[in-house]
Amino acid sequence: MTSRSSLLRAALRIPPSCVVFAVLLITLWVLRPNMMNPAILGTFARQVVPLGIVVLGQLLVISSRSIDLSAGGIILLVNYLISSGLLYSWPLLPIILLCLGVGLAVGLVNGLLVGKRRASAVIVTLAINIVLIGLVEYLANGKPPGDVPAEFRALYNLRFWTIPAPVMFWIALAGIMSAFLGASVFGRFVWSIGSNPTSAHFSGVPVERTVVAAHVIAGLMFAVAALVQTSSIAVGSVRFGPELVMNSIAATILGGVVFGRPAEVWGPFVGVLCFALLFVVMTTIGVQEPGKLIVQGLIILLAAIFYGLRSKSN
Amino acid sequence: MSKVGRIFFPANSRHGLWTIPLLVAICCCVGLAISTADFVSRQNVLNLFAQAAPLILVSIGQMIVILVKGLDLSVGSVVSLTTGILSLNAPFYVTVPAAMLNAAVVGLLNGVAVTRFRVHPIIATLSIMGITQGAAMFVRPSAGGTVASEIVALVSGELFGIYMPVIWTIAAILVGWKIVHGSRFGLHLFAIGGGETAATFGIAEQRNEVAAYVLSSCFAAAAGIFLAGRIASGDPNIGTQYAVDSITAVALGGTQLAGGIGSLHGTLIGCGLLALIANGMNLLNVSAFVQTIVKGAILLLVIALQPRKNIGL
Repeated sequence: MTSRSSLLRAALRIPPSCVVFAVLLITLWVLRPNMMNPAILGTFARQVVPLGIVVLGQLLVISSRSIDLSAGGIILLVNYLISSGLLYSWPLLPIILLCLGVGLAVGLVNGLLVGKRRASAVIVTLAINIVLIGLVEYLANGKPPGDVPAEFRALYNLRFWTIPAPVMFWIALAGIMSAFLGASVFGRFVWSIGSNPTSAHFSGVPVERTVVAAHVIAGLMFAVAALVQTSSIAVGSVRFGPELVMNSIAATILGGVVFGRPAEVWGPFVGVLCFALLFVVMTTIGVQEPGKLIVQGLIILLAAIFYGLRSKSN
Repeated sequence: MSKVGRIFFPANSRHGLWTIPLLVAICCCVGLAISTADFVSRQNVLNLFAQAAPLILVSIGQMIVILVKGLDLSVGSVVSLTTGILSLNAPFYVTVPAAMLNAAVVGLLNGVAVTRFRVHPIIATLSIMGITQGAAMFVRPSAGGTVASEIVALVSGELFGIYMPVIWTIAAILVGWKIVHGSRFGLHLFAIGGGETAATFGIAEQRNEVAAYVLSSCFAAAAGIFLAGRIASGDPNIGTQYAVDSITAVALGGTQLAGGIGSLHGTLIGCGLLALIANGMNLLNVSAFVQTIVKGAILLLVIALQPRKNIGL
């Protein structure tokens, strides 16, 4: 009896993203066996690398009981900085550093308002997002942005043994994040705040500082995601769907990270891959845009319900 | 800044900090009346009502959900889907009940997911938003169709010499006041949101929360009916901004996202302030992009002025 229940518990510990991923992979294998080769799947995975890097930041803030909706604004701003032609004379490295600095700064403002000022994270990051979008639109003033420097494009198209460079970069970043959260004191702090902020506070965990740091790291991740996103398009764009932010939350939840659950990097990682595969499967079946939205919503809801039921039984 | 708050309003109020937004709104009004001649014109004031009415409807529903520690991101897609249903080729006595029934079902799904299945409100309403938006795009893939003339008449024109949007606004306020401040259900909302165990003894917490989500969707559907009448057609994207705008308006009015603190008059002030900003800056010829920045900045400012105990959401 004990062994059966422990087996069941182990099965339930698998993040829903892995189950969904397996189902989608089998569906694709049955429907289109010829698409199951690394080159094609790698190209699909490359499309979700920006989402994947946003998720690395999002899972950190969500596990410390906060949320960050400002990723869209940061991506828009970085995209504008690179493609507007303002920095054409600059070499590559300073541009990248400037963009990362922008992410850090926005993350710091978010973090200070949420952690120190104790304002609601939903509202703060929403407001920051509104301000950033307005700022970019004001700077662009209706003009279409220019070209993205060719170096970015070249980096994006690089492949090592048929695996695209952005995908390898994403895997490496996820590995660093996983090791960092698993081995550092900061990771323990995030975990304890996620479980119970009050007891974390009374156990001597610097709650405010940890929340600020989580938001700063998230801001940095969003800037990195923005760089990859910008490299993926030849020409700059002033339009980014808010769906990137929504999908990042969805992938995080699908990966088994819920408010008040330990930060887990690989569950959400597979969650992002699910989104890539879901897109492929639905395109092959011929599902239109409305159908995609409905299926996506259903999958998120079912994953969340599954988790809700599980946490109730515990 | 909490000292300033205490001067304007005593501590521990259930209604939240709504006096500062009110002062900001009054300053906006005075400033606009002085700086532009058109602001106090009859036509402009009527425009203001027409702009604010759908936002007021959505925001009242949003506030009811926020009072019980929830959040409803699906309101915008409900607005869009409602205009889609109304623009179907059917008489109004079929489409209007169908739209309201549909909204009630969406609200019920939200409420059941949040209470019965313990899904976080953001996740639950986010996924329902996806489903509803998909349905809206299925019903009406792009803007078009025609809405029954009765619905158009319900929104434009006058009744007893009163402009229809004004009547809608007053009706929304009366219904909202009855629900939030004039009924036992409203009192229960505050008790559940307050989160004290003692307050919720004897209150059917889950049932009331589900009712809050259903009401929110129904208010959004009412806004959808209003908008469908205004544009006389359906549009799958017309509601997109209402999720963010309604949360902004509710937060501007001093309602706390942690639940249990908020007021109808605060929400109305928040909606009024948003409408005033848009209207005033149009009159002053400020570009739409700067308007967005100012909207975000005001929201940040008001939020930073509200002291809270909890960190995070």
